[in-house]
Amino acid sequence: MESLFLLLPVSFLFVIGIGIALYWAVFSGQFDDTEENGKSILEDNDSNHT
Amino acid sequence: MLNKLVLSYDMRAASIFSIPKDLPDHERQKRRHMLASLGIAWLVMMQVMMFAFPGYLRGDYIGTESLAMLDTAIIIMNWLSFALTMPVLLYCAWPIWQGVFKKSPSHSMRVNMDWPVALGILTAFIPSVIATVSQQGEVYFESVAMFVAFLLTARYLEFCAEQSARYSSIGAPATLEQARIIMTAKADKIAFAFVIIQILLAIISGLVWYLFIDKAHALPVLVALFVMSCPCAMSMAVPTASSAARAIFLNDHSFTPEQQEFVLNLTRKTANQNLYGSLAWHILMAPLAMFGLVAPWVAAITMLVSSLAVAWNSWRLYKKFHNQGFIISLDWTAGKAVQG
Repeated sequence: MESLFLLLPVSFLFVIGIGIALYWAVFSGQFDDTEENGKSILEDNDSNHT
Repeated sequence: MLNKLVLSYDMRAASIFSIPKDLPDHERQKRRHMLASLGIAWLVMMQVMMFAFPGYLRGDYIGTESLAMLDTAIIIMNWLSFALTMPVLLYCAWPIWQGVFKKSPSHSMRVNMDWPVALGILTAFIPSVIATVSQQGEVYFESVAMFVAFLLTARYLEFCAEQSARYSSIGAPATLEQARIIMTAKADKIAFAFVIIQILLAIISGLVWYLFIDKAHALPVLVALFVMSCPCAMSMAVPTASSAARAIFLNDHSFTPEQQEFVLNLTRKTANQNLYGSLAWHILMAPLAMFGLVAPWVAAITMLVSSLAVAWNSWRLYKKFHNQGFIISLDWTAGKAVQG
């Protein structure tokens, strides 16, 4: 049970880290335009390759 | 052909977690804040629920050798829960404090809704802080985190519906907007009466428990009733239904006036189901909470259940036409939809 006193602070730091990572991800645009890359394949201009 | 395909794909948002491109900048920023606070609230909620668990086990360890160590662990976990709940209150719940102190006439409903929420959060949070510092008594940080996380879930869904209402009304008939305004006024009126009655009930029940039944149990009863007085599901009832109708009109522009009327009637029906269904659910749950059978975290779950049920019911309206739109548009002139 002693290991708990190490694991508790570790889990606390992990949650803080994940929270900061999530905040960064949202505001750096990771959740913007989730479709863009998938759609770019349809909008590809093939005419140059012939 | 391909361009057309892509275009029609654009009409509906593929993911409620992605931020639509066609929104103005401040709306996008608002949506980002809502998404970030939603995620952080759920993250903290999961962790704080874990930290709360040993507190529930404590009773089984009284008189055993491990009790002292368990108590030390509980004290640490209470402090960690306290520390994790702070950003939820200061960042995620920020719109709630804003709503309490700022009166905006355009969102009078919001103001009504923020009061019971703020009361519920503070009546659970302040005694928990006192219990943490004095190292005595129970903490309700997990109920606070759950309440905020579930509330933000409901508001996020509502906000997505409202945003789509504001920025994609092209193609939707004006009668839909008229119907939406009438239904919103009705929903606001019902929700307002509901909140007033629920808060009075909460205070009376809390007092009765404190004075006559069990002093120690008065606080959880009060918190549970405050949590359940939040009309999240009711305030979602109309926005989600009308944005489902809007999506139906956007997918198919070839509706005749009779067909439009048919969709509108179904929308009204769905909005009423949402409104009266969630009202009935809350009225059924209130007596259970008054008798002390509903823990604050259970109350938070009942709130989430009704909000998700409303979102699901409105999504069903959209789905009804999305799957069989073609068959229905052929058979509709009779005023009846052919199922299947």
